[in-house]
Amino acid sequence: MPELRKDPILGRWIIISQEREKRPTDFIVETDVVRGGFCPLCPGNENTTPSEVLAYGRNHPVPNTPGWTLRVVPNKYPALIIEGELDKQGEGPYDKMNGIGAHEVIVETPKHNEPFSQMEPERLANVFFAYRDRTVDLGRDPRFQYVIVFKNFGRAAGASLEHSHSQLIALPILPRMIVSELEGSYSYYKYKDRCIFCDIIRHEVQYGTRLVCANADFLCITPFAPRSPFEMWVLPKRHSSCFSSMADPLFISLSRLFSEVMRRLDTCIPNVPFNFVLHTGPLRSQPLEHFHWHFEIMPKLTTMAGFEWGSGFYINPTPPEDAAHYLREINLSSPPPVNEPRV
Amino acid sequence: MKKKILLIDDEESIHFLYKEVLEEEGYEVHTALSGEIGLKVFDSIQPDLVILDINMPGMNGIEVLRRLKEIKANLPVILSSAYNEYKQDLACWASDDYIVKSSDLEELKASVKRHLR
Repeated sequence: MPELRKDPILGRWIIISQEREKRPTDFIVETDVVRGGFCPLCPGNENTTPSEVLAYGRNHPVPNTPGWTLRVVPNKYPALIIEGELDKQGEGPYDKMNGIGAHEVIVETPKHNEPFSQMEPERLANVFFAYRDRTVDLGRDPRFQYVIVFKNFGRAAGASLEHSHSQLIALPILPRMIVSELEGSYSYYKYKDRCIFCDIIRHEVQYGTRLVCANADFLCITPFAPRSPFEMWVLPKRHSSCFSSMADPLFISLSRLFSEVMRRLDTCIPNVPFNFVLHTGPLRSQPLEHFHWHFEIMPKLTTMAGFEWGSGFYINPTPPEDAAHYLREINLSSPPPVNEPRV
Repeated sequence: MKKKILLIDDEESIHFLYKEVLEEEGYEVHTALSGEIGLKVFDSIQPDLVILDINMPGMNGIEVLRRLKEIKANLPVILSSAYNEYKQDLACWASDDYIVKSSDLEELKASVKRHLR
């Protein structure tokens, strides 16, 4: 029997279609063809990118030169531009403003063929530090209300370049998804005087059926009402509404757990395209009792068609309890396959 | 000596339009109707600048761009597309400029002039 499930934060319904239940091996994942040729993100090609706004690892002071371990650059062809005023206007029932924003690319590694799932935790920690450092910096600009941090991996998930990178966009408005999460979690908090995410964590740890893995500070679960097969959330165990306020040692702990999560996913469904998005509190907000920052990882294994667009319902052929089971059972003791790095 | 421009685009009408305008500006313009042909013409004429369409049958402009920059990293390449959304493709960063096709060719002329300075 199919099952309708409701996301307790957003009130969004999804359908678990167990008749057509899919195991990891049932998904056909097309391996991206490595196109080769010139890569604008590789060391030595720094002059093809806009001037960097952040770099780690260089042991000399000359910017936009090789020697870096991570680099953040503004988007060369940005969708939103950094200069100018918002100039908010009304036009009858409609609202508009200038397309002000900051669109940046985080080049996560100097190695062209180092996939995110195979990065050492130390490198992942650098990626998370860069998310924090750029968010803090952009948060000083009063025009911006939110910084959305995301990663696309694989062509099907929107990544056009195989050199591992993630992106962030500073926005002058709060994205609708974050507003809905803030409203949903506040509604729960008003009723129960507890953070819904903290309640979810307690429940999932107690029962364990949707728990993928955990360490002392973080855990990974498959959510009760996932939009996608093998959707996962990574959350801090202790309540915190702001990713950027996390203490340094926790970044190391997060990177260790995230590395494990990525290796589990990649072993379960090799080369699966995915998106992940950081959900955190608005810029400059005080600590929020009702909201809990987290990452949402969405493997790209299903397509949205008319029903999904029209209803907002997602049809998921893999129950999250089964997905968590498959992910938990992965044996990570054997070393992951190693791609030959270009540099 | 005239600067050489190679235009790679699968639309002949674009060849006529761009060739006329750029020759008026004093450039020597060579054309190719596909990425594959464009790479061969590139080898034979060694242009000073390439204007490259993105959406072409066979080898698309992004592939051609990556190959051209692999051969000659400092070659100025201007992407010229009817679509703005290819800008989201980070592989386009290897280009030196991105121009959305329009009947007004002032932007193209200015970009060519800037990169052949």
